[in-house]
Amino acid sequence: MITLESLRAYGANVDEGLARVMNKEDFYLRMVNMVLGDASKFDQLKAAVEAGDAKAAFEVAHALKGATGNVSLTPIYRPICEFSDTLKGHTDQPIPPQCLPLVDEAVKQFEIARNL
Amino acid sequence: MNTDALIRSSRRTVLVVEDEATNRELLGYILGESYDVLTAVDGVEALEVLAGHPGQIAMILLDILMPRMNGIEFLKRRQQDDTLSRIPVIVLTSDKDAELETLKLGALDFITKPYDMPEIILARVRRIIEFVEDRQIIQDVERDELTGLYTRGFFFEYCRRLPAPPRGERRDVIAVDVDHFRLVNEVYGKGFGDRLLCAVADGIHDVVHAGFGIGCRGDVDLFYVLLNQRRDYEAVYDALMRRVHQLGQSNVRLRMGVYQGVENTRPLEWYCVAAKAACDTIRANYTRGVVLYDDKLHERELYNERLIADMESAIAQRQFTVYYQPKYDIRGETPKLYAAEALVRWIHPELGFISPGAFIPLFEENGLIAKLDDYVWRQAAGQIRDWRDRLGVTVPVSVNLSRMDFYDPRLKERLLDIVKENGIPIESFVLEVTESAYSQNMDQMLKTVGELRQAGFHIEMDDFGSGYSSLNMLCLMPIDALKIDMKFVRNVASSSTGYRMVELVIEMARALGVPAIVEGVEDEAQYRLMKQVGCDIIQGYYFSRPVDAASFEPLIAGK
Repeated sequence: MITLESLRAYGANVDEGLARVMNKEDFYLRMVNMVLGDASKFDQLKAAVEAGDAKAAFEVAHALKGATGNVSLTPIYRPICEFSDTLKGHTDQPIPPQCLPLVDEAVKQFEIARNL
Repeated sequence: MNTDALIRSSRRTVLVVEDEATNRELLGYILGESYDVLTAVDGVEALEVLAGHPGQIAMILLDILMPRMNGIEFLKRRQQDDTLSRIPVIVLTSDKDAELETLKLGALDFITKPYDMPEIILARVRRIIEFVEDRQIIQDVERDELTGLYTRGFFFEYCRRLPAPPRGERRDVIAVDVDHFRLVNEVYGKGFGDRLLCAVADGIHDVVHAGFGIGCRGDVDLFYVLLNQRRDYEAVYDALMRRVHQLGQSNVRLRMGVYQGVENTRPLEWYCVAAKAACDTIRANYTRGVVLYDDKLHERELYNERLIADMESAIAQRQFTVYYQPKYDIRGETPKLYAAEALVRWIHPELGFISPGAFIPLFEENGLIAKLDDYVWRQAAGQIRDWRDRLGVTVPVSVNLSRMDFYDPRLKERLLDIVKENGIPIESFVLEVTESAYSQNMDQMLKTVGELRQAGFHIEMDDFGSGYSSLNMLCLMPIDALKIDMKFVRNVASSSTGYRMVELVIEMARALGVPAIVEGVEDEAQYRLMKQVGCDIIQGYYFSRPVDAASFEPLIAGK
C-alpha cells in the first residue's frame, strides 16, 4: 500500500504535493493513486513512440506531465517533462532517438511507483 | 454586514475545463474551499455547462490541450458571444508559448502546471473575479443604458475631479429639457420617446466632442452639459433641434437653460439647478428655445424660495385672508346677488400684498397648495355658516380645487367633513374646477368630479376655454355651471370674433342645461354686451372687486 513514507523513499516530493492540497494527506494519496491507477496514458505513450507519431506522443506526454507534476511524482515527472519539452514545437519531425530513453525511464518509474 | 461585504462574501461558481481527471479533481479540491465548482472535460462540454447555467458562472479555468475542442478554439468561440465574453478566463498551462496566443484571445491570467500553492491559485481567482465584477458595476452605473451618456451620479463625480479651467477661461452649464415629455410619450408612444431621448443625447455628444465638455442624462428627459464657455448657444440649440426634427415630428420641442461662468464657490449641482430654472421659465413660451440665467431670474428664485419657506407660518399666523367676489344673476330686470367666489389674499408682514398669481402656481408646483386650499375651504365654509347665523341668508360660496387636490384619495371625505363640521347645506359649498385640470387626467377627473357631484356638491367648470375640452368630453362632464374665461370678455368690445366666441360658449352652456357665468366684467359696456348675448351670471369689477367678509355683508343686505 502506498504511504507518505513509501512515496518519500521512492523520491516523490511529498511535501510539495501535500502543500498543493492544503496538507490533506488522504486526498493527496487518493490523487497519487488516481494517477498511478491509470496505465492507459503510458500505454498510449509507448504506442505513439513505437509508431513514431511525434504529435500523439507529445500530447500524451504533455497530459502526463501535468498530472504527475501536480502530485509531485518527481521520478516520473522529470523524464516526462524533458521528453515533452524536447518534442514541443517539433511534432512535425520524427521523434529524436536520444529522447527514447526518457520514455523508458518514465515507464520504468511508473511501474516502480505502482508497486510501492 | 454592508452590501459590499455581502456581495464579496457570497459564493461564486467557477467552471474548471480540463481533460485530465487528476488535475480536475485537484483544482476542484483547492477551489472548493471558497467556490462552487463545475467541471467540463473539454471545450464542447464547457459550452454545454455554460448554456445550462446562464449568468451563474463567475470564472472559467481553462486547459489548452484537450480533445474535441481545445482551449484556443473555446476562447475563439467565447469572443464571438457577448454573454460568454463577459466571463473572465484563467488559462491552465504548462506551456509558456501558449500564453501570448491566449492573451490575445482574451484570457486574463495564467495558472501554470504543476500548480502553484493553493493560496496563490485562490488569490488569483479571487482577484480576477473582483476586478471583472467591479469593472462591470462601474460600466453599469457610469453610463445611462438608453442614451450612453454619463449617469447623473458619475457626471457630478467626474466634474468634481476636473482640474479648474486655465486662467482666463470659463465654463458654463446648460440644461436641456424636452418640453411636455410625458405628453410626447403618451401621444407618440414610448418607443418614439426613447428615440427622442437618444437623438438629444447624440446631439449632446456632438456638442461635447466639438470642444471641451461633459454631458449626462440628469433625469428622465433632462440633460446637463458642463462645457467651455461659448457664445453661440442658439446654434447649439438649433443643432439639437435638427436632431429632434430628423425623427419626423415637427411639434416636439426642447428647452435650453444656460448658466454662464460656473465658479468654485458653489457645488456644480447648484449651477445645474439654476440652468434648469432658466429653461423652466419658457415652459409655455413657444417663441424661445434658449434662456440665459441672469440676476433677475436669481432674484425671482430667491423670492419664490422665500414664499415657499414662509407659507406654513403664514397659515399659522393667518396672513392669508379670504376675500369674496360677488356673482350677480342678471337674467331679471335688476341684477340679484347670486353667490360669491372665495379668493385668497396674502398680506405678508414684510413683503406686503402678494398677488395670488405669484404664489398659487408656485404652491401648485410643489404640492403646498393642498394645505392652502384646505385653509381657504374651512374659512369659506365657516363664513357661509356665520352669514346664515347672523344674517339669516345662505350665500353660496365657491372655492377653487387645484389639480393637485385630485391626487388625494380622501378628497371627497375632506370636503364632506368641512360641510358637516360647519352645518351648511352641501349645495351652498360650490366647487370650482378648472377646465385644464380635466384635460390632464380626464378619466380620473371625470370619476372624482362625478362622485363629488353625486355626494351633493355643485361643480362649476372654471376658466372654460383655457383647456382643450372636446365636445364629446363636455357632454360627459358632470357640471352645474360653465364659467367663461375673462380673456374672451376682454376681446368682446374690440372684436366681433370674441363676441361670437362668448355667444358660442353661452349656447354651449344652454345645450348642457347649465348657467353660463362670465367673470372679469369690468364696465358698463361689457355688462350690457353680456346681457345682450344672454349671459346668466356676471362676476367682475363692474359689480365689485373681491372684498373681505365684513365689506361683503352690505351686498348681502342689499340682496
